[in-house]
Amino acid sequence: MQNFINSLPLEDRLPLELSRLYEQFGYQKYCMSKFEEYGFYSDNRDFLSTDGIIAFNNSAGRLMALKPDITLSIVKNARTLPGAEARYYYNENVYRITDDTHDCKEIKQCGVELLGDIDSHSTAEIVLLALNSLAKIDNEFNLIISHIGFVSAALADAGIMGERRKKILGFIKRKNRHDLLNWCRLSGIEDSIVERLLKISSINGRLDEVLPALNELVTDEKTLAAYNELYDLCKAIKDNDYFKNLVFDLSVLNHLDYYNGILLQGYVKNSPSPVLSGGRYDSLAKKIRGKGGALGFALYLDGLNLYYPNKNEFDCDVLIIANQSDANLFKILADFENTGKKVMIAHKNELNIKAKQIMYYDNGNLTKE
Amino acid sequence: MITIALPKGRLGDKVYNLFAKIGYDCSEIYDDNRKLVFENTENGVRYLLVKPSDVAVYVYHGAADLGIAGKDILDESGLSLYELLDLKLGRCDMCVASHNDYKEDLSRPIRVATKFPNIAKKHYMSFNREIEIIKLNGSIEIAPLVGLSDVIVDIVETGTTLKENNLKVIERFLPISARLIANRASYTFKKDEIDRLCDNLQTVLEEK
Repeated sequence: MQNFINSLPLEDRLPLELSRLYEQFGYQKYCMSKFEEYGFYSDNRDFLSTDGIIAFNNSAGRLMALKPDITLSIVKNARTLPGAEARYYYNENVYRITDDTHDCKEIKQCGVELLGDIDSHSTAEIVLLALNSLAKIDNEFNLIISHIGFVSAALADAGIMGERRKKILGFIKRKNRHDLLNWCRLSGIEDSIVERLLKISSINGRLDEVLPALNELVTDEKTLAAYNELYDLCKAIKDNDYFKNLVFDLSVLNHLDYYNGILLQGYVKNSPSPVLSGGRYDSLAKKIRGKGGALGFALYLDGLNLYYPNKNEFDCDVLIIANQSDANLFKILADFENTGKKVMIAHKNELNIKAKQIMYYDNGNLTKE
Repeated sequence: MITIALPKGRLGDKVYNLFAKIGYDCSEIYDDNRKLVFENTENGVRYLLVKPSDVAVYVYHGAADLGIAGKDILDESGLSLYELLDLKLGRCDMCVASHNDYKEDLSRPIRVATKFPNIAKKHYMSFNREIEIIKLNGSIEIAPLVGLSDVIVDIVETGTTLKENNLKVIERFLPISARLIANRASYTFKKDEIDRLCDNLQTVLEEK
């Protein structure tokens, strides 16, 4: 069975391996309908990572949507006991309209959501799961971790809001320190704040190595809480084999309407874009559930087969070229099946099937090439 | 091995000389041939010579780790990339320009002819002015002369072409120069080398 799983293309194999990983950590599989009322998504548009929702009327005339996001559905529908954490994983498709070509797209996603009172243990658990998930794709991977707290505090201290905030976040996200400096000077932003922002945009390295630099950014209770969260995380996971793959970088600032604490972004060697995205989203949990926190991540499986093609050079283990088909041939086929070998039958090898071994079936006899 | 997408033409030549100065030379690039990929395994560098407007696309899709692209191309593409260094080469401005005697009619949307529809939309949206975009691919200056548009949004270096066509700059709103860009994934995996390259380039630029 394991041989069979290993022979599958990555996009088919990964959901199986990830399901096993998440089950081992006590996460329950969450299955959901492909449809949800459109109103639910439009009410929570700020929390969606896309504007492109595919909507349609059902037979009763109600406006429905093909689900563009999994997390919203889980946060809305998950049942949790008071004081307890809920752990879910999913393996689902989402449907979106692409920004560039405006086409409808079906996107495969796997991920986990942890709902309830988030503490340092839950944070470490989610980060470890993210590290282990990326390791299932490629040994060479990096999980980038960031924290919105430090950037938010610097901007709040300077009273920078709205469009100005957006502009500065844009510079930091692009590691564009030259324009950040010029723009801040032209906008009359205090030198001490500019210096702090430049420092924020340059912090990058292993979590334990950047902690002293982050400590220097602590200015109030909120930044102290952010620092302590990262310090506790570092202490909890620094002995893990994958700790070296965890990189801290404050330029990762995605979906700021959605996330409010730790942010995660995962890269694997062969893919030019991130394959994992996640973070802490307490504000969504509070809006929908009225209480508690939430933390999770999603892995985007689409396109992985392109960057990690299946290197199986053979179409099958055994190709039987048979002149006729009879009960004996099917018995032979069943015997091969029991050995776990992949067998194909053809009258002629017109399709140039690549087989490890070719055999011939003629008049009830099976002979090797 | 680091792969760098260079824009074909004068800017690409200037930038290559900067890279060569910091140890990423690849003498084969001077050979008179039609090759578009040059590699120097000893120095661990490969250059791709591509159309300037395609540099960001090569980098975004990971075909190149780094690239040199104008700020105009970057802002127009909107691609998610790191913009690590301002090389201060190829300096010019993104401008709104029109006929010498143009007077804006505030009672109707402005017709804007441009090669940069996204930059133009963003600029006019910043002060809530309604516009109609006319996308052109070249010789933008003709548009206001023949009544195709009220204004143009285009890059202006010396302003000579505008003057010769009886046009004037109304507003300069975005300074343009060549930027060193990086693919986000490449940066995470080759951070040390890319940071070192940036520091060395910065030193060479300051010496200039």
